[in-house]
Amino acid sequence: MIDSASIPQDKETQQLEQTWGSPPGFFAWFTWVNQKNIGMRFIVTGFVFFILGVVLALLMRIQLAVPENNFMDPETYNQVFSMHGITMMFLFAVPVMEGIAVYIIPLMLGTRDMTFPRLNAFGYYIYLIAGVMMYAALFLKIAPDAGWFSYPPLAGAAFSPGLGLDFYTTVITFMEISALVAAIELIATIFKCKVPGMSLNRMPIFVWSILVMSFMIVFALPPLVIASLMLALDRMAGMHFFTAASGDPVLWQHLFWFFGHPEVYIIFIPALGMISSIIITFTQRPIFGYIPIVLSIVAIGFIGFGLWVHHMFTAGLPQLGSNFFTASSAMIAIPSGVQIFCWIATLWGSKPKLDTPLLHVLGFFLIFIIGGLSGVMVASVPFDLQAHDTYFVVAHFHYVLVGGAVFPLLGGLYYWYPKFTGRMMSERLGKAAFWITFAGFNLTFFPMHKLGLDGMPRRVYTYIDGLGWNEANLFISISSVVLAIGFMLTLLNVLISLRRGIIAKDNPWNADTLEWATSSPPPSYNFRHIRTVDSRYPLWSGTGGLEQNPVVTGIRSDRREILLTSILESQPESRQPLPGPSPWPFWLAVAVAITFAGMMIHLAIPLLGFLLCFVAIAGWVWPKQVEAAK
Amino acid sequence: MSKNLDASKLPDYSYEFKSPLWWGIIGLVTVEGTVVATLIASFFYLQGNHAAWPPAGTNPPELLLPTLSTLVLLASMVPVYLTDKAFKSGNPEPLGRLPLFSILLALIFLAIKAYEYGGHIDFRWDTHAYGSVVWLMIGFHSAHVIAVILKTLVIVYLARKHYFTPEKRIAVTVNGLYWYFVAAAWIPLYLTIYWGSRIWG
Repeated sequence: MIDSASIPQDKETQQLEQTWGSPPGFFAWFTWVNQKNIGMRFIVTGFVFFILGVVLALLMRIQLAVPENNFMDPETYNQVFSMHGITMMFLFAVPVMEGIAVYIIPLMLGTRDMTFPRLNAFGYYIYLIAGVMMYAALFLKIAPDAGWFSYPPLAGAAFSPGLGLDFYTTVITFMEISALVAAIELIATIFKCKVPGMSLNRMPIFVWSILVMSFMIVFALPPLVIASLMLALDRMAGMHFFTAASGDPVLWQHLFWFFGHPEVYIIFIPALGMISSIIITFTQRPIFGYIPIVLSIVAIGFIGFGLWVHHMFTAGLPQLGSNFFTASSAMIAIPSGVQIFCWIATLWGSKPKLDTPLLHVLGFFLIFIIGGLSGVMVASVPFDLQAHDTYFVVAHFHYVLVGGAVFPLLGGLYYWYPKFTGRMMSERLGKAAFWITFAGFNLTFFPMHKLGLDGMPRRVYTYIDGLGWNEANLFISISSVVLAIGFMLTLLNVLISLRRGIIAKDNPWNADTLEWATSSPPPSYNFRHIRTVDSRYPLWSGTGGLEQNPVVTGIRSDRREILLTSILESQPESRQPLPGPSPWPFWLAVAVAITFAGMMIHLAIPLLGFLLCFVAIAGWVWPKQVEAAK
Repeated sequence: MSKNLDASKLPDYSYEFKSPLWWGIIGLVTVEGTVVATLIASFFYLQGNHAAWPPAGTNPPELLLPTLSTLVLLASMVPVYLTDKAFKSGNPEPLGRLPLFSILLALIFLAIKAYEYGGHIDFRWDTHAYGSVVWLMIGFHSAHVIAVILKTLVIVYLARKHYFTPEKRIAVTVNGLYWYFVAAAWIPLYLTIYWGSRIWG
């Protein structure tokens, strides 16, 4: 967007900068609420945990490289593989997807911030505190060691005494608040903050995917919160939810997977949105089948809730129930297939630009299809009984999770990096990193299918010589180094390009969505002019693109204010003042952490925490005007 | 330049479903409703593992007192409703006092619960699975009653400082919604705890 540089406008630009800018200084850092600041914190912190998770994976591969290795003792190995799963699922995948959503969604909607900026900040601190606590436990060698799923009775007080599982239960309980508040806020923002003209049927597919992800979070995470609270109470207050004495360990499995399976789609669906964005941009044409794709995403969101029992086929459930879940597990292939065919149709004959973001999407196609095929295999009960708890399953879920989420995410990183930083990432290094990552990934995980069919179980810290697993394990361990080098090159690319990348234009890829209609990186107020849109591809429409469209005037620049529009048609309705920087979200996060983690020390501490939370909330919502009115 | 869209005449407040805060509270209520559903599902799931529910040797809780307290809690919605109604028709005056009646009723509800679970039932949270799930339901719900009381006190205080106007009433609306939720969420919990095991026990 090019602004006409008349003098009164410059004055208003300064005013906007002053109103929306985040205050400098170390202590002020804890008061920031701007959606781009918070989104970037989520992304950076998420990738830091990703690196830690990769390091843990490498440690496991060192241990497993040769039979009867004693690089790690079994206790440490258990903590390392548990923390690898906890890190990748809870501390990396969901937060980083949310981070990108928090950063990009308001820009895509053409608004200046999200509806509840302070809630955003609160969610971040909850996440940060939870992550730091988990890693503190790991460095003190008291990390949870019963897997990321922590099945009782193993995870119960009798078989896992000590603080490890207490960390798991209390931290997981409050950490999910972070994802829940982000989800609610994303829903409210997508409903109410679309720029005038962006009716629901013109919303970018990425926005649709984030909307579906948010709804899934709202329904999938509460059962986990309450289940981990129950497990904490079992362990600390002698209660009997999952004990063999009176409760039922299988109840935990139901509650955990009722969360755990949708969780897979919670990280996969945003990736679908990223893929659509990248394909549209790099083929330079409208997507084939916008409505089928949107409906497929919504369908996946629903069917994703009907799959959880396929994690429990060996738990001895009624056969008829298992059959139902086999059918629904196969059914989810239908909407996934519809999307893939729409993408292929978009790519067909389009002469796409094979830049790094699109390469990652193509890599996704291959890896995810292999993961999908092995998924169809384990969806059938007889095969699953054979492959359950073997490396076949490890291979399968790394193909769907890394292929389905991490590859699109890296593609998204290359794609939006210029918007985040104002500089391009190196294409040469990016392509090299992609091919090394792609090769390293397949060399690492494909042989695991074979290893699993040969009978090697998961989660074992070592294996004896002579079972025929030696060569494959050594090969996998060497390949995992290749994979890690691939990831490291992308990281290096991120760091080097920060200073030495080519300066990015506002819209370096000639993309179609609104985040590219402002400077790179965007100013604190996102858009100098809020322009209405009249098509699904606002930056491509008409001859002059967005420049021809009417500007929304009359939104105040002397206070943080955004325009609210109607949900379906995006008609302007009202102006919404937004709160500015505040330290209270940080203090509330501390109070919440005390409430739940305090259970580990004494069961009365949650009562104190409850009061602290109330004080923090009151401080948070306390209006300034009351003081002025006196 | 084409015709611009002037937003300066639009109001700088919104209410009901036009307000993001309304959607925010609906989101919160959905999350908490899912928690309630999870608790109830767990209750009946655990029941399936027991020959008798409550397990043999435990009497199901009495009906009279909890039923009375349920009516008290439901009655607490009335002042909230009247306040909201008056406020919508432009009369902010009841906001400074009517919710106090709701708070009083909620306190009576809590007092009855404390009496009931302070020694008039014959199981503890660590007796068996039944005790665990019932105590968790009661604890979860009571914490919410306390939270909504504290929240409403803040609203009443601010109302007495004339902070709200009939236009800028969204905070009052969502507090009312949350009150309805806390009271209504008790109904399925009440039916599960006090009637569920009588009907299917």
